Amino acid sequence: MDINEAQLISRCQQGDQEALKEIFNQYHQKLYRIAYGVVRHREEALDIVQEVFIKLFRSIHQFKGRSRFYTYLYRMTMNTAIDHTRKMKKVPPLSIDEEEGFQLSDDPDRRPDRILDHKELEAKVKWAMDQLSPDQKAALIFREIEGLSYQEIAEATGCSIGTVMSRLHYGRKKVQELLKDYVEGGEEV
Amino acid sequence: MKSRCSSISELLDKYFDQEVTPEERSLVEDHLPSCPACRSALLSMENLRNLIKSPVEEAVERENFPWVWEKIERGIQQEEKPGLWESLWSWLDMISLRQKKILIPAVAAVVILILITAPLLYEKISSYPDLSVVEYVESDTYNVMIYEREAPRVTVIWLFEGPEEEPLTS
Repeated sequence: MDINEAQLISRCQQGDQEALKEIFNQYHQKLYRIAYGVVRHREEALDIVQEVFIKLFRSIHQFKGRSRFYTYLYRMTMNTAIDHTRKMKKVPPLSIDEEEGFQLSDDPDRRPDRILDHKELEAKVKWAMDQLSPDQKAALIFREIEGLSYQEIAEATGCSIGTVMSRLHYGRKKVQELLKDYVEGGEEV
Repeated sequence: MKSRCSSISELLDKYFDQEVTPEERSLVEDHLPSCPACRSALLSMENLRNLIKSPVEEAVERENFPWVWEKIERGIQQEEKPGLWESLWSWLDMISLRQKKILIPAVAAVVILILITAPLLYEKISSYPDLSVVEYVESDTYNVMIYEREAPRVTVIWLFEGPEEEPLTS
């Protein structure tokens, strides 16, 4: 942890909201990526980011610097997102019309058929990811979306590097199998 | 020496994630040109990564975050005004363990006492509050008034002397 970050955390621990804002400016996109990777829904991901920063402000006094700050933050985000997913399992998802609606547009990517294809693919990816255990899902999202190293994933999830490798291997295998029409390598085997 | 596919495939995840040692990297890269299966497996991993990552990157690009900070600020301000229950808890947190040992049983005893005595007091104070007159009979000497209550059924018959009349004078 560099000196600036240590000072920022210390100020935040004393209740300085400006320090929290600086942390927000530094990390909000990364945390949004993680949250979005889990829930794959804009509003839910934004709600999770909001919840994480409020939680952080309330609990940052518990951060003793034993792990790197960003892995602490990533872990908090992942736990919040996975808890959110558990809660939302009982609520039926919104239909495409309710969620975004179709609008006429000159942009070929905004054409209804393209949006539908895109949404269907997104729904399949989400469904496949939801078949993983929370640990496998966390490892895969940290690696594929945030590009964390095995060491960083181990720190953020509180396990060994060997466990991270195993979770990644079996997680990938399972999702590849579920999405084989979209991911198969295409070479003659 | 040509490496066996099974031993290389164990390294493929690490190779794909750029977590191999230089020796392991050489082993994999020597093997790949001659193995379509391992090349295909690597390509599948790459496709899967794109499938998982691309929509997330697109979502980040579309997003406007400043209003999220405003919501966070509002959320913190709301949390800073504790409710009655939170205030009670924080007050309990502040008092020492010794005080708690005395205070909590005392408060509990008072609450239990109130719960036990309140119904008794209520009964005493408001005896038959919903009695209603069903009959009233007047006579020269006595008057009779009958009260009744529905549940539990109670009937009160009240017999009392009538008003004394002025003696007639002749």
